[in-house]
Amino acid sequence: MNILVINAGSSSLKYQLYDMKDESVLASGRVERIGMDSSIVTHEPEGRPEVRIVDEILEHTSAIKRVLDMLTHPEHGVLRSVQEIDAVGHRVVHGGEAFKESAVVTPETKLEIRKLFDLAPLHNPAHMMGITAVEAVLPGVTQAVVFDTAFHQTMPQQSYLYPVPMVLYKRHAIRRYGFHGTSHAYVSERAAEVLGRPLEELKLVSCHIGNGASATAILHGKSFDTSMGMTPLEGLMMGTRSGDLDPAIVPYTMNKEDLTLSEVNSMLNKHSGLLAISGLSSDMREITEAMFDGDKTRSSPSRCTPTGSKSTSAPMRRR
Amino acid sequence: MNFRKIGVIGAGTMGQSIAEMLAYKGMDVFLMELTPAKLEQGLRSIEISLDKQIEKWALTQAEKKLILNRIHGVSDMSDFSQCELIIETITEDLERKKAIIAAADRACPPDVILASNTSTLSLTELASAAAHPERVIGMHFVYPVFKVDLVEIVRGLRTSDATFKSTKGFVEQVIDKKGVMVFESPGFITTRLICLFINEALHILEEGVASVDDIDSAMRIGYSFQHGPFEMADRFGLDSVHAALESMFREYGELKYRPSFILKKMVRGGQLGVKSGAGFFTYDEDGDRV
Repeated sequence: MNILVINAGSSSLKYQLYDMKDESVLASGRVERIGMDSSIVTHEPEGRPEVRIVDEILEHTSAIKRVLDMLTHPEHGVLRSVQEIDAVGHRVVHGGEAFKESAVVTPETKLEIRKLFDLAPLHNPAHMMGITAVEAVLPGVTQAVVFDTAFHQTMPQQSYLYPVPMVLYKRHAIRRYGFHGTSHAYVSERAAEVLGRPLEELKLVSCHIGNGASATAILHGKSFDTSMGMTPLEGLMMGTRSGDLDPAIVPYTMNKEDLTLSEVNSMLNKHSGLLAISGLSSDMREITEAMFDGDKTRSSPSRCTPTGSKSTSAPMRRR
Repeated sequence: MNFRKIGVIGAGTMGQSIAEMLAYKGMDVFLMELTPAKLEQGLRSIEISLDKQIEKWALTQAEKKLILNRIHGVSDMSDFSQCELIIETITEDLERKKAIIAAADRACPPDVILASNTSTLSLTELASAAAHPERVIGMHFVYPVFKVDLVEIVRGLRTSDATFKSTKGFVEQVIDKKGVMVFESPGFITTRLICLFINEALHILEEGVASVDDIDSAMRIGYSFQHGPFEMADRFGLDSVHAALESMFREYGELKYRPSFILKKMVRGGQLGVKSGAGFFTYDEDGDRV
């Protein structure tokens, strides 16, 4: 049985194809910089040289089609046809309160994921595009979804409740959910292995740093608190996401700039963070290169530090 | 029914706005105009609109590029062969719209839905031009289509249940807008109410009760309208408001729909609002008030 695992992020898509007879990896790879002129596709068939292609890939559906092309490529592929893929697993960022564990994709599952678009506007739509693209190319294949929020379901009430009227939680499930759950779970298990101590005895802070970033306090192997909140916008400053800011800035800016809800959402999710601070790019590699080239960018990587350290320690301080 | 490729006939204000929204939602749009110059102008206006949205942080440069890549200018209905839905958006002229519906009906297979963005005309009459009137339906969008999440879905006498069901599914699940079902009636809900609102504001002005600015401020601040009736009329196009009122006046025969003389005079004088740069207010090339 071959299972394709897809992790569609906001600007990247990673994949691994497993042969479940021995849980071996047949191929893996990633599509980076989706939405930019020079997207990079890196395909690694097991035991053969890596293939790297630079091309324009503007959205996730095209990215998934490209992955399937790679897996069945006469020269670099590992499958004769896409029909040899028996099941597909997707990482899904937001499961809200509807999903406390993984689920098989059904019309109802998709509807629930769609309902959570507002809470993870950069991610759940990208995951849905992945699911839809797989449905189009592999009709009838079983698909499963694994949620980032599930690991954080162990958080105590003191961690997940916001200090706002309780009625908002009761009516609209406004609470901290936390994200990057599968990553924080894996990192904590690896940390215990490396330290040579049982996970159940450890108090850890794990950091997930990518285009999105979060820190989690893990108490005896369970998520105790985390920097991301109801949406992946809270916490550390990120590539294009603002992270923590004074909540009063939002209505003030909407009023002064005459912005709609979707405009302010887009501003905070797609036009803020490192991109806004640097005035150059959301990609640290581009900023570092520009700095070495003498570019007078408004930022330096050290600008990330104050907000970063504050949010990284916050989950522990709340205890 | 899958909706991946949509044909849009007419690259005027509504055609541009609908094409832009559909491409933003991920569909390939085939935008048709009579002449290459008009098509070019329509595509340029879409680009300006997208740039304005970037200025307001609503879009990124990559999203703009993606949207523009999905809009394909065409000059002939044979280019609609792959489309699942055709939306016509030409001016509110019954005979011209009937000719367009008839041509689209001949050019497209019978399972393709033919929708009209008419705001006042009879769907039954438009559908009578088609050999397959059961696939003709009204989809009345509200400008700016990108921002306003409402579509009036209008059934003609012979519109089939299947056409209505597919159209409702498209509106509510594919483009995520609220679809309100309307039985055929001139002006439907939105045009009938908003044109009367604008016409009454014009009567208040004619009677010397208040100034343009004060009438607009009263309704904008007092009743939380985004724009007052005069700026709203400028943005719709005074000629469009005039045509809609004339059409409803003819259909209903009631005096309340008779267009105000100020409106008639301004349309005759070519002061059409945002599209001509001047109406009740003046506007720059980007459509912002000066």
